[in-house]
Amino acid sequence: MKIWLWRALVLLAALVLWEAAARMLNPILYVGPSRLPAALGRVLATRDLPPLADHVWLTLAEIAAAYALAVAGGLWVGFLLGLRKTLGRIYEPLLAALYAVPSVVWYPSLMLFFGLGPASKIAFGVLLGFFPVTLAVLAGIRQVPATLITVAESMGAGSWTVFRKVMLPAMASTMVGGLRTGLALSVVGVLVGELLGARAGLGYVINYAYGLMMTAEYAALVVLVAAAVLLLDGAGSLFEARGKRGGG
Amino acid sequence: MIAGAPIVVDGVSKRYETPSGPVAAVDGVSLTVRPGEFISLLGPSGCGKSTVLGMVGGLVRPDVGRILIDGDPISGPNPKKVALVFQDPGLFPWRTALDNVGFGLELSGVTATRRREIALGLLEPMGLKGFEAKYPRELSGGMRQRVAIARALALDTPILLMDEPFGALDEQTRLLMGEWLVEIRRRTARTIVFVTHSLYEAIALSDRIAVMTARPGRIKDVLDVPLPYPRALDAPEAVDLHAKLWAQLREESLRAMDGQR
Amino acid sequence: MRWGVLDAVFIPPPSAVVRALGWTAADALPRLGDTLVKTLLGYVLAVGVGVPAGLVLGSRPIAHAVAMPYVVALYGIPKILILPWIALIFGIGFSTAALSAAVFAIFPVVVLVAAGTRDVDPNMVTVAVSMGASRAQVGRKVLLPAVLPSVVTAMRVAMVFALLGALLAEMLAGNRGMGFQMQRMALAFRAPELFAATAIVSVLSISAVLFLEHLNRRLGRWR
Repeated sequence: MKIWLWRALVLLAALVLWEAAARMLNPILYVGPSRLPAALGRVLATRDLPPLADHVWLTLAEIAAAYALAVAGGLWVGFLLGLRKTLGRIYEPLLAALYAVPSVVWYPSLMLFFGLGPASKIAFGVLLGFFPVTLAVLAGIRQVPATLITVAESMGAGSWTVFRKVMLPAMASTMVGGLRTGLALSVVGVLVGELLGARAGLGYVINYAYGLMMTAEYAALVVLVAAAVLLLDGAGSLFEARGKRGGG
Repeated sequence: MIAGAPIVVDGVSKRYETPSGPVAAVDGVSLTVRPGEFISLLGPSGCGKSTVLGMVGGLVRPDVGRILIDGDPISGPNPKKVALVFQDPGLFPWRTALDNVGFGLELSGVTATRRREIALGLLEPMGLKGFEAKYPRELSGGMRQRVAIARALALDTPILLMDEPFGALDEQTRLLMGEWLVEIRRRTARTIVFVTHSLYEAIALSDRIAVMTARPGRIKDVLDVPLPYPRALDAPEAVDLHAKLWAQLREESLRAMDGQR
Repeated sequence: MRWGVLDAVFIPPPSAVVRALGWTAADALPRLGDTLVKTLLGYVLAVGVGVPAGLVLGSRPIAHAVAMPYVVALYGIPKILILPWIALIFGIGFSTAALSAAVFAIFPVVVLVAAGTRDVDPNMVTVAVSMGASRAQVGRKVLLPAVLPSVVTAMRVAMVFALLGALLAEMLAGNRGMGFQMQRMALAFRAPELFAATAIVSVLSISAVLFLEHLNRRLGRWR
């Protein structure tokens, strides 16, 4: 009980401090929470800013495409490397090395190949979302208790049956975790791509606002996107919790 | 020879707050431990024997009653008089066996050379010579527990409290450790309070056995074990004692199981 | 959308890349240094603030329960969203990139150190207390060594994030470092130079991580 109270107090205190600080400083650069609702209204009414709806749809479409490709690719490569041990041994160190490089270094190359349109954003989203899925598949395969497989085989199950009825359920919760992270990263990938250089999409609108020093509108957009991402994450974790209760 | 110190436990009780309300762990336990004797606290799970030990060790404060060590009431951990060994050896993984044994000495400012001397002197008769530079990760469960006991012995206290120290070990190791503890006991005159749920251990090791009731724990009975060491557990007196103990303990164990429903 | 038109502009022959490497290397070294300095500054800031914060949060269960959801939430928000704002205030260039590196690196540090602190086996603390250790002695002789592996891991992870933050800031609002250079080469369709620059940054990052991992292993011989 008391914890909820403290959490609410912390949030309240943060908001109050933010508002107070914003009022004391340059209003062009610092926007307090009180100015956000009005700014949001202006953004939605498309005053002074490009029509939000179209751009949001484009961004969502890019995210969907990126995630779909990332999951497909990640699952494919994950199972390939996980089930064919020799391939795995060769390529896993490569994966580990790539993980040590901040993903953003690939973006300029993607821009070179795919231009400034949606393709480069989708490509970047795929790049970012692919790794968590692959790694989750590999980890999932690795943590299936060998005894389960032995039991199934001793009962006469063929390898396809073992895969379907033993490995997949045992991997379920690790996989869901990877799918969740993959989604979060695909979203980030698309957003980063759009912010770094686009002619359309949510990132483009944010850049537009910030370029014209429309700080309040920019802040409203940021809060909106942040809230959306958090909701998506929250939904993802609920889904993962449901999956865990099944027992993986 | 170290002289053991007497312990007087005088009507202690302890309650714990749980989400479902207060639970009485220990209710009016009184016990007198003679200097130099080995007494076991035997009881079903959850009867509060670890709590009693914690109180004697100064780690848990009784709500009611008091505990006297050597005539003085205790008010906290007393490393000069009382050393503890727990079921989990609790060795510091970043220290070698030698440094682990020397930990208590380090806290009281003993010099490094002296610590090393004392630690080696304790590890050698335990069969750990040559292992002093090993890390806990490299030692087996039985070895780790021996290091933990050496660490407690290093404090050179008149009282040693042991809370199911062999509980996590496999049977063969338990038997060996028991024999070895008897050997240590032979060489010193420490007072030892030994918590266990194993009748076998209690009979094999102790001078007296205090049987506790199910929660809330009280002392149900205290039996003498007037058998000479080394003990043959198939001797008629031992078998007799075993039957008597089990009769008492069985009743309490059933009650403890009922209480968990 | 450009798909499938792969001519020399987009995939340069390796010889061109090697030549570009030579040219880029001379030009790139000061840029690399610039990016590195920003990264290190942000890194030091993130570690200097994040480690104590993680220790405090991890050792106080109430503070942990209250603050952690907020930390996790902030961690989940794409930090690039506030980069334009930082750029607005601090301008194009050095400060923005260093601050960005700090912002990106601080979250994993706090989360990892807090988790490591919470994971310290309470039995070890009990043992020390039963032997008469004072609070200071418990902190110095038990908690600190027990928490050290988590801190070192956090510092290793933070390095990549700091580099990420610095590069991102340079691409968005930079004027000198490697990130800025790579962005410029991409927009000018100078593929060999871009590939060379990408290779240089990748090598740098992998080396840094390998070095930190080596350090990690040397410090943790007892594990």
